[in-house]
Amino acid sequence: MEIEVKPQFMTVTELNRLVREEIENNPYLTNIWVKGEIFNLTYHSSGHIYFTLKDEGAAVSAVFFRNYNKNMKFRLEEGMSVLVLGGLTVFEKRGSYQLNAMSVRPEGAGELQKRIEQLRKKLMDEGIFDPAHKRPLPFLPKRLGVVTSPTGAALHDIIKVALRRFPNIEIVVAPAKVQGDDAPGSIARAIRELGRPQWGVDVIIAGRGGGSFEDLMPFNEEVVVRACYNSTVPIISAVGHQVDHPLCDDASDAFAPTPSAAAELAVPVRTDLEDEIKYLVNRMNMALSSGVEKLAAKLAGTASRKVFRDPYEIINMREMLLSDTESRMAMHMQGVITSRKERLLHIPDITMLEKRILMEKRHLFSMQLQAIEKLSPMNIMARGYAVVTGAGKKIIKSVEKIKAGDKVEIRFYDGLASAEITSAAKEK
Amino acid sequence: MEKVKKSAPKPAFEEALAELEEIASRLESGELGLDDSIKQFEKGIQLAAFCHKKLEEAERKIEILQKGGSDVVARQVAVKSDTGEIEDDEDMQGSLI
Repeated sequence: MEIEVKPQFMTVTELNRLVREEIENNPYLTNIWVKGEIFNLTYHSSGHIYFTLKDEGAAVSAVFFRNYNKNMKFRLEEGMSVLVLGGLTVFEKRGSYQLNAMSVRPEGAGELQKRIEQLRKKLMDEGIFDPAHKRPLPFLPKRLGVVTSPTGAALHDIIKVALRRFPNIEIVVAPAKVQGDDAPGSIARAIRELGRPQWGVDVIIAGRGGGSFEDLMPFNEEVVVRACYNSTVPIISAVGHQVDHPLCDDASDAFAPTPSAAAELAVPVRTDLEDEIKYLVNRMNMALSSGVEKLAAKLAGTASRKVFRDPYEIINMREMLLSDTESRMAMHMQGVITSRKERLLHIPDITMLEKRILMEKRHLFSMQLQAIEKLSPMNIMARGYAVVTGAGKKIIKSVEKIKAGDKVEIRFYDGLASAEITSAAKEK
Repeated sequence: MEKVKKSAPKPAFEEALAELEEIASRLESGELGLDDSIKQFEKGIQLAAFCHKKLEEAERKIEILQKGGSDVVARQVAVKSDTGEIEDDEDMQGSLI
């Protein structure tokens, strides 16, 4: 007789619970690294990231919750090969399980990271990151050198920012490959080329926009780091990144987190500089016009008022002064010529003038003649004086020259008389 | 034979600006006499003119280096200043040096 044995069974619920407990309590399965490629990637608005991890033979769903992924240094991409650290959870309802990711890193990054750290140590020992080697950036670059991809947005950003800040700046672009195996050599070559004196570059920006860890790798390569260190021109490393500095940042004279920021670092705002000059000239003006130097203020005020407002005016002022002097010289010469011409034309007038002078002189002469005539002895004698002359018609001026009995002649103004001296005595 | 000395290098923009600042401060201190004040002022005006000249020196051009035979040559290109994009017919990727 067959005895129907009722098999021992469990419900589906019991089964799934059992599996869940088995799996979730297994320390190995709660903390495991799984390697695979990412598919069906969804960045959910909640902040959680959902994807399927696959290899050639199998697939498993995975979730990367917000509180675990918020510090991630890169963005997951479809097809990306990754290592996921996580644990399994089981959904009893559907009888499925998924991988709860706690950390995701690009596969191979570990090796690269190790290589970078080794290179960093080696270069540091050589002094390549020594802050003492860093040069100051030029205050006012005339020509900006740029090393980046000729087709990337980084170049547009640098040009746009540089022109906005300093509209007449000159930019020389040394195009380089910034991705792929030949990128490091291309970047280093472009940096060296721009350093040649013939390009007259004052400062170089070398970089690219942000990208994945692998995208930025060329800027961690020894040949690029050394080219930055050895650049003959001050160089700014401009590699778009969020967290990890590429090695070339530390070997350059300065670095910026984006190409645009590098352009701001390299190129001053022209209007700011103009304002600064204007401000200083104004201060000079104020200082000179006020305070102790009243006289100086007067001089400066009248001589250079316009110059204060715009120092550039000094050139215009000097030009004006020059052309003013020129025209004054010309006018002066014209005046000289004209006056000489006039003199030539007016010769008759001059003879008339001479006639007038002659007449005046004649008049003067006759006046002088009259004065002389008044002084003539005849005139004096006419007023009652007489001249006594002795022998030889000599005028007798003193009584001592004559004695009684001398014969003399007396000349009156109108005739002669003869006389004999009867006595002569000197008055006491 | 002694070499002819080069004329002293022109002061760089930054130095000229710093000197201008110094002169402004000195004038403001009021410690200079009239003659010195005016001399300093004139010097300051010259420095300001020099600075302006320096700002004018560059002449806005964008050049791309590229291989020209065995040498590297510069090719001038036009850009849109609002976007910084290069307006050029030639294949830029081909211009790698």
